[in-house]
Order: sequence, then C-alpha cells, then structure tokens
Amino acid sequence: MDSSLQSLRELVLRLYPLPEPEMEALLAIWVPFSAKRKELLTSTGETEKYLYFVEEGVQRVFFTAEDGREATLVFMYPPSFAGVLDSFLLQQPSRYQFETLAPSRFLRTSYHQLSTLMRQYPEIDRMIRNGLAITFSGILERLADLQCRSAEERFRILLKRSPQVLQLIPHKYLANYLGMDPTHFSKLMGSVRIG
Amino acid sequence: MPRFLTDQLLNELSSQTERQLMLAVQQWQNLSDEQLLARPTENSWGVADCASHLNYYASYYLPKLRKAFEQNKAATPVFKSGWLGDYFTKLMQPGPEGDLPKKMKAPTKSLPPAIQNPRAVIARFIENLEEMTQLLNLARKRSLQSPRIPISLSPLIRLTPGDTLRFLVAHNERHVLQAMKALQRNTPAPGNKIILVQ
Repeated sequence: MDSSLQSLRELVLRLYPLPEPEMEALLAIWVPFSAKRKELLTSTGETEKYLYFVEEGVQRVFFTAEDGREATLVFMYPPSFAGVLDSFLLQQPSRYQFETLAPSRFLRTSYHQLSTLMRQYPEIDRMIRNGLAITFSGILERLADLQCRSAEERFRILLKRSPQVLQLIPHKYLANYLGMDPTHFSKLMGSVRIG
Repeated sequence: MPRFLTDQLLNELSSQTERQLMLAVQQWQNLSDEQLLARPTENSWGVADCASHLNYYASYYLPKLRKAFEQNKAATPVFKSGWLGDYFTKLMQPGPEGDLPKKMKAPTKSLPPAIQNPRAVIARFIENLEEMTQLLNLARKRSLQSPRIPISLSPLIRLTPGDTLRFLVAHNERHVLQAMKALQRNTPAPGNKIILVQ
C-alpha cells in the first residue's frame, strides 16, 4: 500500500506541483482493488463510480456499435489513471465499457470523495484540470493521426512509442485500436523482429 | 471419488489458464510464421499444430460450457468429480517435472490440417483462453455438478461441467508444454528487444 501511494504521488507530481498538505489530503482517499483478466469493471449505461490508478496490468475503454463492432478507444497501463473519465466527471451513464485485459491491481476513489476535495482545495482542482488538459491533448493528437496517417504509419508510431504493448496486449485489441483488421496487423508484424 | 473445495479448484484452474495466456501473449503471438510452423521432426507437432489442436477442442467445449452455466444453478461449495472425468483429467496431466505423459494418438478428427495462417491460429487460441478465463470466473456462481456435457468422442459419455473444465485445462497444459519443447528445440527463446525492420 505504501509503495502504491508512492507511485501515485509521483504520477500526481508529474501532472502538477501539488503542495504537501493537499497531497496528503488527496492520498488519503484511495482504496486498493484488484481484478482478474477480462473482467468488465464498467458497462454501458452504468455511471462510472470510480477513478482508478493503475498499479499493475492492462485495461481498455471501448465502444460497441449496434451491429456489434467494437472500437478500442484507449489502453491504460501503469502508472496512469483509468476508468470511463467522462462518465465519472459528469456523473452520467457511460456510453463505453471499461475492462481488464490482464490481471490488474489498482487504487481507486469515488466521485463523492474526489469532488469534495476539489471543492475544498483549489490546488487539487487545478491539478485535476491540468491532468485533463494533458489527456485532452493526447486525444486530439490521436484524432489527427486517425485522419491523416495511414494504418501502417500508426502501427510504426505505436511501436516506436510503446514497443512493450506487443508482449502485453493480445494483438487483436492492438489491431482494433489502430483501426485495421487482424489480417493486416499480422502482415505488418512480418516486419517486426523480437530478439 | 475425489472431492474438491470449489473455490480452491477454480483458483488452480484459473492460474494455470492465466500462465498459458501469458505465454501466448508474451511469446507466441510475436513469433514468426516459420517459428510457429517449425516441427521438431516430420511427425511431431510445432507450436501452431498444438494451438490448432487445442482450438478444435475449445470450439467444441466452450460453447457447451457457456450454455450449461447459463442454465443458472446455485454454486456448490464442494465439487464431486466423477470417476471417468477424474480418469480423463489424470490421463492428460503432465508429471511433476513437467514431463509429458505417455504418448497418445490424437483422434483423427482433431489432427491439425495444413496450417495456412499460423498467426490467425494463435489469435484464435488467445481468444479461446480468454473465453476460458471468463467461464472460470462465471463458474464461481454456478453449479459444477450439472448439467452434464457429452465428450467430443461420444455423445454417450457425459461429464459434469467441473470435470469438463478440469479435463480442458489439463489438456491445454499438456499441449502447451509440448509446444514449448518443440520451440526450444527449434529456436533460442526470444528476448525482449523489439526491432522494426524496414
């Protein structure tokens, strides 16, 4: 628990220089939680109750269309925050699902606890705003990539930025995230050597 | 007949399945077509052959297990294995040193046909193990005693869902070990460095 709070503290400091009294108040509201592989933690229509901090494992947030097709929107792995963020912050039913792709360990906190702290401490409010701005900037970058780059370019960028995903995540989900069918992904894997 | 504490049994089957999945995700899905297809000798199986054989069993048993569990029955804290189910499971289980049990002839129907796309076979294998994981989680809230499921070789022989799970996990373990041995014989274990070739 101590070491998990330590890595949470480090992640927070990377987002925002939170002063010590606020940091202590923030670290006090988290509870350990763990899940097996392929557990659905939030389903469509359910309001996200928690903000998660990922200590171990991989998860994804995905959308399922009426015809059953899935769109993997984002992967989460340590150290990062996780959950269906829009549903959590707006406290409205989620359009997306949040599931584990490997056995996972988290710390998590509730909307009530976090929003109480955000009202009480302006610095915590700013820290959350900064964290969201960073997330938002990542989402805009991905939108631009999806429209302007070929699937093959996106594959190469992903492998340059996060090569470890090849050995962490079943390729089916990586192909889906990149917007290509698994056969195309397989072909591109022909250009990868692991040695 | 052997009796098991249901929680303990399912924990054990889950962690074995998780180890098989980790191996497939970390290593197998990243092997080249040649590595997946390589056979140690002309008549023995390589990684893709083993995975394909296991896929055949999964495609028969997993939907039947899911259907059995959908007939929602309350969980039972103790599972009683049947003598036949226990016999089939033990027949599959590798020895304590990971040595393979007596060589068996696989039923002709389940022999892997010539494999066209080894990566697709591994992707399917991973999907099946994911389904297995979900079924093992579901099993905690269901009866492992009924309804019985006919084995793939004869509709006359039926095993309880609990014995079907035990048999499947042991059968997976057997051929995963076989595949690992085939791979060791053919290639040095791949490391962690990922290189993009132009």
